[in-house]
Amino acid sequence: MSDISSIEELQKLNSIDDLKKLYWSLFEKIKNDDKPQLVICSGTACHASGTGDIIRGMKRYIIENNLQNKIALKITGCHGFCEMGPFILTKPDDAFYHKVTVETIGSIIDATIEGKLVEELLYTDPKTGERYYKQHEIPFFSKQQRTILKKNQNIDPIRITDYFTNFGYKSLEKVLSTLTSNQVIEQVKISGIRGRGGAGFPTGVKWEMLSKQPGDKGKYLICNADEGDPGAYMDRSVLEGNPHSIIEGMLIGGYATGATNGVVYVRNEYPLAIKHLTIALRQAKDVGLLGDNILGTGFNFDIKIVRGAGAFVCGEETALIKSIEGKMGEPRQRPPYPVEKGVYGKPTVINNVETWANIPIIIDIGGSDYAKIGTKTSTGTKIFSLVGKIKNTGLVEIPMGTTIKELVYDIGGGSPSDVKIKAIQTGGPSGGCIPVNMFDIPIDFEKLSEVGSIMGSGGMIVMDERTCMVDVARYFMNFLKGESCGKCFTCRKGTQRMYEILDDITKGKATMDQLDLLEELALVVKDTTMCGLGQTASNPVLSTLKYFKEEYVDHIKNKHCKAGVCKDIVGAPCQATCPIGTEAWRYVAHISRGEYEEAYLALREANPFPSVCARVCSHPCEKMCKAGVLMGEPVAIRALKRFITDMIEPSVYKPVRKIKEDADDYKVAVIGAGPAGLTAAHKLSLMGYKVTVFEKDSEPGGMLISGIPEYRLPRDVLKQEIAELIDENVTLHCNTALGKDITIDYLLNNGYKSIFLGMGAHKSKLLNIEGEDLEGVFPAIEFLKAFNIGGKKLAHGHVGVIGGGDSAIDAARVALRQKDVESVTIFYRRTRNEMPALQHEIDAALEEGVKLYTLVSPIKIVSDKGKLKGVEFIKNMLGDVDVSGRRNPQAIKGSEYFVPLDNLIVTIGDTPDVGYISYMGINVNKWGTLIVNEDTLETNRPGVFAGGDVVTGPNTVVEAIAAGKKAAIMIDRYLNGEELEKPLDRKMPSVYVPPREVVEEESDEEMKRIKLPTIPVERRKSTLEEVEKTLSEESAIYEASRCMRCDLDFTYPEKIRREQQELMQDITQKGEVLV
Amino acid sequence: MSQDAVLKIVEKHKKDGDGIISILEDIQAKYSYLPDYALRTVSEETGKSLVDIYGVATFYRYFSLKPKGKHLVNCCLGTACHVRGGQSIADEFEKQLKIPPGETTVDKEFTYETVTCLGACALGPVAVVDGHYFSKVKTTKVKHILEEVKKGLEVIKIQGDKRIFPVEVGCTRCNHTLMDKDFLIDNYPSIRLTISFKDKHGSVRLSGMYGSYNIESDYEVPEDTIVNFFCPHCHAELKSPTICPDCGEHMIPLMLKGGGIVQVCPKRGCQGHLLDLF
Repeated sequence: MSDISSIEELQKLNSIDDLKKLYWSLFEKIKNDDKPQLVICSGTACHASGTGDIIRGMKRYIIENNLQNKIALKITGCHGFCEMGPFILTKPDDAFYHKVTVETIGSIIDATIEGKLVEELLYTDPKTGERYYKQHEIPFFSKQQRTILKKNQNIDPIRITDYFTNFGYKSLEKVLSTLTSNQVIEQVKISGIRGRGGAGFPTGVKWEMLSKQPGDKGKYLICNADEGDPGAYMDRSVLEGNPHSIIEGMLIGGYATGATNGVVYVRNEYPLAIKHLTIALRQAKDVGLLGDNILGTGFNFDIKIVRGAGAFVCGEETALIKSIEGKMGEPRQRPPYPVEKGVYGKPTVINNVETWANIPIIIDIGGSDYAKIGTKTSTGTKIFSLVGKIKNTGLVEIPMGTTIKELVYDIGGGSPSDVKIKAIQTGGPSGGCIPVNMFDIPIDFEKLSEVGSIMGSGGMIVMDERTCMVDVARYFMNFLKGESCGKCFTCRKGTQRMYEILDDITKGKATMDQLDLLEELALVVKDTTMCGLGQTASNPVLSTLKYFKEEYVDHIKNKHCKAGVCKDIVGAPCQATCPIGTEAWRYVAHISRGEYEEAYLALREANPFPSVCARVCSHPCEKMCKAGVLMGEPVAIRALKRFITDMIEPSVYKPVRKIKEDADDYKVAVIGAGPAGLTAAHKLSLMGYKVTVFEKDSEPGGMLISGIPEYRLPRDVLKQEIAELIDENVTLHCNTALGKDITIDYLLNNGYKSIFLGMGAHKSKLLNIEGEDLEGVFPAIEFLKAFNIGGKKLAHGHVGVIGGGDSAIDAARVALRQKDVESVTIFYRRTRNEMPALQHEIDAALEEGVKLYTLVSPIKIVSDKGKLKGVEFIKNMLGDVDVSGRRNPQAIKGSEYFVPLDNLIVTIGDTPDVGYISYMGINVNKWGTLIVNEDTLETNRPGVFAGGDVVTGPNTVVEAIAAGKKAAIMIDRYLNGEELEKPLDRKMPSVYVPPREVVEEESDEEMKRIKLPTIPVERRKSTLEEVEKTLSEESAIYEASRCMRCDLDFTYPEKIRREQQELMQDITQKGEVLV
Repeated sequence: MSQDAVLKIVEKHKKDGDGIISILEDIQAKYSYLPDYALRTVSEETGKSLVDIYGVATFYRYFSLKPKGKHLVNCCLGTACHVRGGQSIADEFEKQLKIPPGETTVDKEFTYETVTCLGACALGPVAVVDGHYFSKVKTTKVKHILEEVKKGLEVIKIQGDKRIFPVEVGCTRCNHTLMDKDFLIDNYPSIRLTISFKDKHGSVRLSGMYGSYNIESDYEVPEDTIVNFFCPHCHAELKSPTICPDCGEHMIPLMLKGGGIVQVCPKRGCQGHLLDLF
């Protein structure tokens, strides 16, 4: 049974001996307590994730089941792994349960009491599925050096006894009993610690200057907790989780410098930090650690809290001082520096929260040991808030000098999605963006400023390919123009003007001249402003201009935002991302309204291969879909396309045709009847041209027919679609190969005025290892073509497939469907996460029984009497991250092993099979693809254009169609004698489709993406029947109504919009300022 | 809101030697804006010119010169939230509430503001409504959030809420149970204690449900009054060395059957409480 003395009842400490005795009595008390303990994080982030309910639930469970004697609870501040909250850490077992719910706490409590684990609730890596049994083994934690943050998980921030039992105030005791003021300053100087607030001024030097100021004036120490950098929250966590460490740091600072007044200047936006600090100050005062004659040593020091009222500029020291004095936070000219003339004219030192938290550690381990952590010029550890597009968001503490790569990939776990990381932004609005190819640099003060950024307070915002760098610059400038105090003209107006230019760029309204002006302005603001805010305000602009200028140019010249962010030029992201500009939103909207013919027309207008794309498109639109980008699941656009093409007869579409009287004078030749060639032919035909298509194979279709297997793309569907395109203006000659039957000069001499080269990439790359020419080894294309066109089943027995792309999966699944095949295994050099093939294709292959061995590379093909016997592989491990954000495989020495195989299919990429082309005067690059002007698709020979895989190397169907469309426009321009370079118009959503009337649903349930129906796995092996089935009408409408209708911002009828705007203005006017 | 209350705030800060900002912060916290007369009063009482006060009141983002709505919606536009689509969330709030940031709806239900970073970056995009954090907000969720807020986030249903559960407590001095089986609050035996404040003495009964703030008292205890509590059996005063985390008063300790201590704040209106198990 407990008694009241268990509650904190601490006597006032009148001497250092009293403090020592207190430690003894507290340790004595906890020594006998061997109950297991559950530690629950109750930081702000975990609170937002529902930790309050978890704590309540645990208490309830313990009380209801009378477990008070068997288990203890500890409620602490932030541990840093905010992404996984709410979580429970057990002691002494160190088990880490993440994303705990009220339903599961009972089992965790019971198991912990019994010394067991609830395995299924332990932290499991979401990508690899690996389960971790100890907190310190989880990569997020194991790669950090958590000197400061680790204390948070041992301390209940509202209980001073917890701080004492974790050796709190020990450093103060050491200072008061054994060190002189000068010795303390000496230790801080030796430690090499530099201010953690951003500028990195050596703390010891600052303190020394303060200590030399005349003492009778009453000196001030300030803790700067006005963490105004958006994206940084480490100060908040330290204040919330361990407020006594700040008090102790400031006390030591006071002793060292002779200051007697302390002020903590903290943001009003941090209510929990203010609360915990207030409690801590009161407790410290009650036990005599603050106030007069501390521990009977004659040392006086007191601390009060001043709440900031929200002004970024108050992070600047002179502005902060004014704010503490209760004035407007405008910076002033220095000198005099605050160390001479600070708060109320008194000598003042300002340090950041994290700096203060480091002081007790320096005193504890000694300056020289501290200096061993980190780099020579940047010592110690630093906390970063790793946020943005990163898997493990949270607070991370690492030694200075750790590389960005280690931080982002090893600790942060890389990108949370399959979108690549592009850059990292450090230092808040005063900092800059560092591109991914510079992630090798170590994080220290010098290196960061060398590359145009700053350390700042430690915000690290990870950005991926879906982050627009112009938008980021605009975002920061918007922030800065609002936060500029207005004292310096150049800052006040400069930030405003820079914002306006950036805003124009994101809206597609800017010119290239303005880009130069922007840079000039940025440099002027940098040079002519007084305080830190103004001097660094240009950094976001200058650093993005330095590393991402092409994005600016893309916005200005092409009115294109690659990241799909800048709304005014993106329109609907699905449409903007689609290489052929399909108005996906439009047909999706029509489907949601049951208007299927309209839907088909919207689709067909953009795409001559709607049924093909409905099955095999790589659907980049879904990657950009707002429904998915905003943390949900994208609309299944491809499945809806399939639904609509299955539903509607192609004849519904009646194309608009131009009549060209002199068409016979402008004949065009197209080489290759693949998606690129046929699209170009079709588009030219609609423009009125006469087109002849020459195809090398016996059937048209190119890769669609030779590469893509029938179970993905039924032949009747493909044939019908192609037949629709061969109209009266198009003549098709099969079995006619360029370089064999015809040449470019021959065509030009025989009445063709322009030529489009779309031969594709039909030659498989080689592994370049011994034995590749053996019988039983096939290049992927050869194997697939033989089956898809000729119906030949080349594979038998045990089949190996090398590669990880779409054709590897195709080859494997085709092999599986051949009757003499016993097993099919794919060998890939990295892990499944890095495989470039479409995810659902990999899933399907595995479902059907294809085996997948990852992290292996072939080194030798072994033969027996000229026939394949098997392959020798070597095992790999994942090494360093390369520029693509993927980890490179590294061979593990001595791990070679042999796999017996009857057939081997090599699918490591294809190249164009155009050895003859350079003899025809067309330039080819070292990879064997044709060189064209990217803007016009023209080759070095006038009038000869090229596109598709023959230019890009193996690429998607939709990219080939896009190239065909573009080529048709360019050929038309060429034949009309128009300028080719003119940028193509980008279409914005323009057709208004009224949103579907939604019946109000009260359900909180998230609308999940539909799952595609497929035929049963058992049936697949024996047939070439199409695996994917079409959606039912009901699921199609459901799925279509998940669309967020990004188009409405552009298509909404003007009248309704105007009415709404007027209403808005009305409200704004009514609510005028009252004073 | 009264002149008196403003005067009281000014007095308190003058005593502590604080600046104008602290005074205005307290007024803002109490009234959710800075009324015209309050600024004048502060000016008169501190001797600072009205223009200086106005300068401070308009310099900092926290202050508002316009009254705010019943509910305060704050949408975070910090960098981390921004790169995760915070702007779309802000646009959606604007669309749903039909007001731009910084404004209040005509029915005075909602004031909508944006803020640059709330320090909950790991959970972005974040919105805070009346102090409640909503994390990883999606545009489709915005409407739902506003409906929830209208229904009331603070409404606690004693029955059926798993966070509220019965406790049995006794006197920390004499060990006697304090539960009164004959007097039910929230359908559960209440906790009986003796109280005194000013010149009044009598009985009070607290709900025995942890998480419920329902009480029944012989007297109407005015808001903010600090009450002394006694054990009705041994008459000892119940006062703990622990201070209330919310307001700083010394708390009332109650011993929990089975081990542990519940402590509640003696200040009327303060909801500070602690539950320690040992």
